[in-house]
Amino acid sequence: MSTESIKITLNNKDYHVPKGARLIDVCREQGFDIPSFCYYADLALQASCRMCLVRIEKMPKLQTSCTIICTDGMVVTTKSEEIEKAQRAMLEFLLANHPLDCPVCDRGGECELQEMAFDWGGLEERFTETKNYHPEKYLSPMIANDPQRCILCKRCTRVCDEWMGEDAIEAGGRGANTVIGTYGGWLDCSQCGNCIEVCPTGTLLDGTYRHQARPWELAQTISTCTYCSDGCQMSLGSRGGELMRIVARDRYVNGINGEFLCVKGRFGHPFVNHEERLRTPLIRYKKGGKLLPATWDEAIRHVARNLDTLAEKYDRNSIGVIGSPRLTNEALYTLHKFATELVGTDNYAANDAFSLSPFLENLGAPFATHHDIRHARTILLLGGEPEELQPLTGKQIRQAVRNGGASLLIVNSVPIRLIEQATQFVHIRAETLDAAVLALADAGSTETASRVMGVQDGELQALRELIELTEGDLIVMFGGELSPAAQAVVAQLPHTFGSSTRRVLLHPLPLFNNSIGAHDMGLMGGAMTASQMLSEAGKTIHGIYIAGSFFQETLSASEAALGKLDFLVVQELFETETTRFADVVLPAASFAEIDGTFTNNAGQVQRVRQSIPPVNQAKSDWMITAQLARELGVDFGFELSASAVFSEIAERVQAYAGLRYPLLKDESKPVQVKRAIVTERDLSAELNTLRNAVAAMPETHEKLWETPKVGHELFKIGTLTDKVPQFHLLAAGNPRPETVNISPLYQITVDASLRREAIGESV
Amino acid sequence: MTYIQIGPRSQPVRVQDEIGSFSPEVEAEIDRHLAKYPVMRSAILPLMFIVQRERGYLDPPGVAYLAKRLQLRITDIWEVATFYSMLHTEPIGKYHIQVCRTLSCKILGSDKITGYCADRLGIKPGETTADGRFTLSEVECLGSCGTAPMFQINFDYHENLTPQKIDQILASLP
Amino acid sequence: MFIGAIGCEPLQLARVHLENSRKLEVYKKHGGYEALARVLKSLTPDDVINEVKKSALRGRGGAGFPTGMKWSFVPKDSPKPKYVVCNADESEPGTFKDRYLMERDPHLLIEGMLIAAYALGSHIGYIYTRGEYRYLIDIMDEAIAEARAAGLLGKNVMGSAFTCEIYTHTGAGAYICGEETALLSSLEGMRGHPRMKPPFPAVSGLYGCPTVVNNVETLTAVPDIIKIGGEAYQQLGTEKSGGTKLWSVSGHVNRPGVYELPMGYDDMEKFIMEDCQGISEGKQLKAVIPGGSSVYIMSAEDIIGKDVRMDYEGLVNAGSMVGSGGFIVMDETVDVFESTKNLTEFYKHESCGWCTPCREGTDWLVKIFKRIEKGGGRPDDAKLLLDLCDNIEGKSFCPLGDAAAWPIQSAIKRFPEDFRRRLVSNSNGHSS
Ligand SMILES: Cc1cc2nc3c(=O)[nH]c(=O)nc-3n(C[C@H](O)[C@H](O)[C@H](O)COP(=O)(O)O)c2cc1C
Ligand code: SF4
Ligand code: FES
Repeated sequence: MSTESIKITLNNKDYHVPKGARLIDVCREQGFDIPSFCYYADLALQASCRMCLVRIEKMPKLQTSCTIICTDGMVVTTKSEEIEKAQRAMLEFLLANHPLDCPVCDRGGECELQEMAFDWGGLEERFTETKNYHPEKYLSPMIANDPQRCILCKRCTRVCDEWMGEDAIEAGGRGANTVIGTYGGWLDCSQCGNCIEVCPTGTLLDGTYRHQARPWELAQTISTCTYCSDGCQMSLGSRGGELMRIVARDRYVNGINGEFLCVKGRFGHPFVNHEERLRTPLIRYKKGGKLLPATWDEAIRHVARNLDTLAEKYDRNSIGVIGSPRLTNEALYTLHKFATELVGTDNYAANDAFSLSPFLENLGAPFATHHDIRHARTILLLGGEPEELQPLTGKQIRQAVRNGGASLLIVNSVPIRLIEQATQFVHIRAETLDAAVLALADAGSTETASRVMGVQDGELQALRELIELTEGDLIVMFGGELSPAAQAVVAQLPHTFGSSTRRVLLHPLPLFNNSIGAHDMGLMGGAMTASQMLSEAGKTIHGIYIAGSFFQETLSASEAALGKLDFLVVQELFETETTRFADVVLPAASFAEIDGTFTNNAGQVQRVRQSIPPVNQAKSDWMITAQLARELGVDFGFELSASAVFSEIAERVQAYAGLRYPLLKDESKPVQVKRAIVTERDLSAELNTLRNAVAAMPETHEKLWETPKVGHELFKIGTLTDKVPQFHLLAAGNPRPETVNISPLYQITVDASLRREAIGESV
Repeated sequence: MTYIQIGPRSQPVRVQDEIGSFSPEVEAEIDRHLAKYPVMRSAILPLMFIVQRERGYLDPPGVAYLAKRLQLRITDIWEVATFYSMLHTEPIGKYHIQVCRTLSCKILGSDKITGYCADRLGIKPGETTADGRFTLSEVECLGSCGTAPMFQINFDYHENLTPQKIDQILASLP
Repeated sequence: MFIGAIGCEPLQLARVHLENSRKLEVYKKHGGYEALARVLKSLTPDDVINEVKKSALRGRGGAGFPTGMKWSFVPKDSPKPKYVVCNADESEPGTFKDRYLMERDPHLLIEGMLIAAYALGSHIGYIYTRGEYRYLIDIMDEAIAEARAAGLLGKNVMGSAFTCEIYTHTGAGAYICGEETALLSSLEGMRGHPRMKPPFPAVSGLYGCPTVVNNVETLTAVPDIIKIGGEAYQQLGTEKSGGTKLWSVSGHVNRPGVYELPMGYDDMEKFIMEDCQGISEGKQLKAVIPGGSSVYIMSAEDIIGKDVRMDYEGLVNAGSMVGSGGFIVMDETVDVFESTKNLTEFYKHESCGWCTPCREGTDWLVKIFKRIEKGGGRPDDAKLLLDLCDNIEGKSFCPLGDAAAWPIQSAIKRFPEDFRRRLVSNSNGHSS
C-alpha cells in the first residue's frame, strides 16, 4: 500500500485514506459497522455472503465493500433504509435453513451469526417451510461437523488451502446442496483445527470438547503454547480447575499467530488434568525398592541430604543439573543459578540436542519476527521442516509466497511439502547442508560443494542471483542440521547479503517452546550435554537433578545408565522411563498452572499465565528449585513470585535488561529481546573448518525423493500427546471409523492398546 | 490401508481402494486431451467422462486415478465431480434416461413422458432398475425445445417423443 | 421443425440445408473461408475490429454487449498469451440455435473463431460446449481435423504468418458455466463458480490472460461481416442492433424452429401468427417469453396489436428483452403460476451456490411454490415472493440471481389471476 492519500466521503464526512485501502477496512476503522461473514483479512476475497453491501454514488447497484478499493472522490453511504433492508435480507436468507439450535450448540455465546441476529433484533421469521437436513457427523477424531449450521462463508476451505497448503476440506455439491466436506467424508490432514477457529458459526466444532461446557462458563486466560518454538498465543478456557479447551479466537487473544494454531497447540492439552498426573512427591528409599508417596517437606529434605552427601563423597562436579527446554525462563534461570551458585558444578545443561550457541554468539542481524516473515520478499530456508516442526512459521512462509508474492528458496535433502510454494528448490544429498552454507558464503567453493550435494553448479548460482535480486527483506532460516562452524557462518550472512535496499533477518528453527530461552538463561553453557552426562553416569557423574525427563531416544541408547547413578531426582508431570530410576520424584506444575515466560524463535519473550490452580500437589519448577536451595541453606529471595525471578533475569541477562512483566502484558505487541549484534568478523577459521569438512564428505549420501506425509512429525507421540487419545488415532494413520454420524452425546473413544505404541519423545 | 503420493503439490492421500488403470488406447486418448491445455487441471472434465465411460461411474479407484494423473488432491476431484450434474460419484444404470422437464418440454407433455417411462420400467425418477440397466432422471433444458418433448439416453437425443416411439427406442437398446 | 430466414436472405443459415453441409468442400464451395483469406491477405487486426465495430454486432449470448467494443478492450501490448473462447454452453431454457449452427455448419464457427483470433492476436481458441451436446463436440472435432489437414488451422494458416489452434472442450452439466467467468473457471478445471468482475476477462481471463468469450452465434456472424462489410451488415438490422438474429421458437406454435430474422423485424404478432403459423390446435395466445427463460414474461395483450419490434430496443420498450432469443410461446391452457414454478425450479437446480441470496433465495422460492401448489397458498404469499425477489435482485454475485427473480416478478405483475386463484385462504391454507 502506498503512502499517498486520497479523499473519500463516508456518510457525508470526508476522510483521507491511504491509496489502495479496502473500503470495508476503512469503514470499520472509522467506526462504521459493516457486517460480514466471508471477508477475512489476508485470505482470498470471496464476496459471497453479500452482507457488506454499501451504496456508492455513480454505481448502479449496492456494492460489496469487501471488494472495493477506495478511489479518490468516492462517495459512500453505509447506512440507509435500502442498505439495512438488503443486509437484513441476507441474514434472513442465511437463517432460513439454519436449525436455530443455539441452546444446544457449542458455539452459542461466541457465534457471529447469533450475535448479528441479536444485535439487530426485530427479526421476523418468515421462513415457515421445511429446512434442508444434513446429519451431524465427525470429520476426524478432532473435528465434528454440523452442516446444517453452515453459511458457506468458506473461511475454512480458504485457511485450509492458503494457511496450511492442504486443501483437505472443500465445498462439494452445488446450489442449495453445497456442503463443506471431503471425499469419503473423512478428513485426512494435519488436524490443525484452524477451520474450527475461523468458522463463524457452530458448523465445525472441536470434537474433543463437544457439549462439555458453554463458552460463558469458561475463564479465558491468555498464555503461550508449550509445544514448539513459534510461541503461539492462545486462550486457555478453564472451568472449576479444569482446562477445557484452547482457542486462538480473536475475541480473546490477539497474538503473533492471529487465529492460527496447530494440532498440538489446539488439541494437545488434555495432559494437564490427566488422571495419571503425579499426585504427591515420591521417594524410593532403597535402590530397587518402590516409589512411595511422601510429603513435600520429607521429599525436599531427602533430596537436600543426598545432594550434600554426594558433594562430600565425590566432588561438586559429580552432580549434574539438567532442565528441559520446555520449562519457563524462570525455571531454567533458577536451575542455572542453583547449579552454578549453590552446587557449584560445571555440569549443567538444557535437555536439547540442538545447541544454537555458535549462532547466537555470531549473530549478525536481529531475529525475524513472524510478521517479518509474512511480509518478506525472499525467504531462504536451509534444512528444517517448519510445516511439521514450527507450523506457524510454515504458515507465514506459505502466505508470504501465496498472498504476498515472496520468493521462497529451499535447500533441503528432503522434498518437504513447502517446496510446492518454492521458487527454487535445491535438492541436496542428506547430511550435506554445511556444503550449501559454505557455497553461499564462499563462491569459490561452489564447485566442490555442488559435487558433494549432488546438484548442478548453476543451481547455487541461481540461488545467489535470486538473493541478489531481492529488494526488501531477505530472511534466512535454518533447521537443526548445521554444524557449529556452519551456524557461525549463517549468523554472519547478513553482512554478505545485506545492502541499502535489502535488510537481512535471521530465523533459527529450534524444536522446543523455550529452546531459545534455555540458551539465554545460560543453561546451554555447561561443560557437558545431557547425553554426555548420561554416558558418564557412574563414572564422573554420580547424581543428577533433572527437571523434565530424558528423551526416549537418548535413554534407550544408553540402557541402564541411569541405574548407575547414586542419586537421581526428577521433576515431572508424569511417571516416565526416567522416573523408573529416580530416587525422588517431585510433581511439577504444567504450563497451564503457572506464571512465567517463554522466548520463541523470533526472540520474543511472551507471558505464560496461570489458568488453573496446580493439579494435585504440583508446584512450579522454579519454586521447587528455590525450595531445595533454601533447604540447602541459600535463600534465592524470590518469595513466591515468578515476577521476582523475572526481575532478577532482567538484571543479570543482558538481552533481557529492563524488562518486567507489566511490559509483556499486551500479547499483540510482543517484546523482542535486544541481542548484541556482532559486526562483521573474520570467518576464515570457520570457513576452513567447513572446507575441510566438505572436502571429506562422501558423495554417496542418498537424496530422499518422497515428500513426507502430513503429520509425520506432528503426530509422533510424546509424553504429553500420549495422554490425548485422539493423537493415538492420528499416529495410527487416522482410520475412518465405521460410522461417522453422531448422536449429540457420542464421543470418540480410543482403544487403550493404541496408547502403548508410543514412539518416543517428540516435540 | 495404503497411502498414495499424488503429484508434487500434494500431501499423500489415503485410499482404501486401488488406483484404476486403463488400456493403452484409453491412456492415449487421455494424453490427447491433456495435450490441449497449458495447465493439466483443465482436462479434468474430459477425463472424468472417460473414467465414467470406462468404469461406469466415478468410483474410488477412478477418482484416485484422476488425482494421480492430474497431480491434484483427492478433494480437488471431489469438489469438481459433485458440482456438475452429468458426473456421478454413485453407480448409475447402463442406460441413463434423462427426460427434459423444463418449460418448453413441460408444456408439451414431459410429465407424461416421464410417467410413461416410469411405468414401463417400474421405477420412479431418480431410481435405477434392479438389474442396473436403466436409471430414470428428470433433467433441465437440453436445448431441444423446438422438438419437445424429448429425452436423452446417455448421449443420444430422442426428440418429438410419443409412447410408441419410446417403446421402439427402448426395444432397440442392446 | 423449421430452420430458415424470414424477412431477409439467410446469412448465418445460408448453408444449413445443403447436402453434406458439414463438409469442408461444401463449405468452401459456398464461399467458406473466403473471409478468412481476405483477412489474412489484406486486413490488419485493427481493420477487423473496426469492421466488427461498424457492423453494430451485439453479443448473442444474452447480454447483448457490442462485440467490436469488447474486442478492443484486449490489451495489445500484454506479453501474455491471449485466448478466444467460444461459448457453446447453450443452456438457457428455450434456446437451441447454437446447436443447429454447429450441427449443420461447423466450419462457419471455425472460420469465425480464426478471424477473431487474428484480430485479437491470439493463437489458441477453445470451444466450450455443454456436456450434453456430445455429438456436436464430435462434429466439431471432425471439422477441426479437416480444417487442420487443409492448412486452415495450425502453423501458417492458409500459408500466412498466422498460427492458430482450436480445441473443443466439454462441460458437464451446469447452466452457470454459460456465464463467461464461470465458464473460464470450469475451463480451468475448477468448480463452475463465477469470478469477480473487474478484472474483466478481456484483461484477465483464462489462466489470468486476456480472453474474449463470445457466443457461437456472435462468432459465426463474423465471416459475413467481413464478406459484406460492417456497414452493409449493420444495415440489415437497425442502427444499434446490426444484422440478423436467430430466434429459437418453441412451445405452442404450429411451426417451431430456428428463425433468422433481421434485427428490428416488424412485428412480433405477425411473427407468431404468420411466420410460425399461429398457435397450435387453434388455441389462443396467452404468454410469450421472448428471450430465454431469464427475461420478463409478456402477456398476449403486450403483443397483440402493439407492434412489437424484434430487436434490443423494441423488446425493452415492450417490457422484456432479447436475451438469447429463446422464444417460448404459451397458449391459454398454460397456468403461469405453474410455468413460473417450473422455471424457479430450474434456477434453484442451477444456482451455483456461491452467494447467499441466490443459493438460499431460490431454495426458499421453490419451497413456497411447492407449498402453494399443494394447496397451502396464503394471501400474502405473492407479497412474500415479490419481496424475496427484491432481496435477490441486484444483490447476487452474478446475474443468475437476477435471472431467477425476473420471471417471478413479471409473472405476478402480468398474470396476477393465476397466482391470486391459489392464494385465497382456505381451510388447509395454514398447514405449515
Ligand atoms: C447465468 C448466465 C448464463 C449464461 N449462459 C450463456 C450461454 O449458455 N451461452 C452464451 O453464449 N452466453 C451465456 N451467458 C452470457 C455470457 O455470460 C456472456 O455474456 C456471453 O458468452 C458473451 O458472449 P457474447 O458477447 O457473444 O454474447 C450467460 C450469462 C449468465 C449470467
Ligand atoms: S447468483 Fe450467486 S449463487 Fe447464483 S449462480 Fe451467481 S454466484 Fe452462484
Ligand atoms: S464480506 Fe463482502 S460479501 Fe461477504
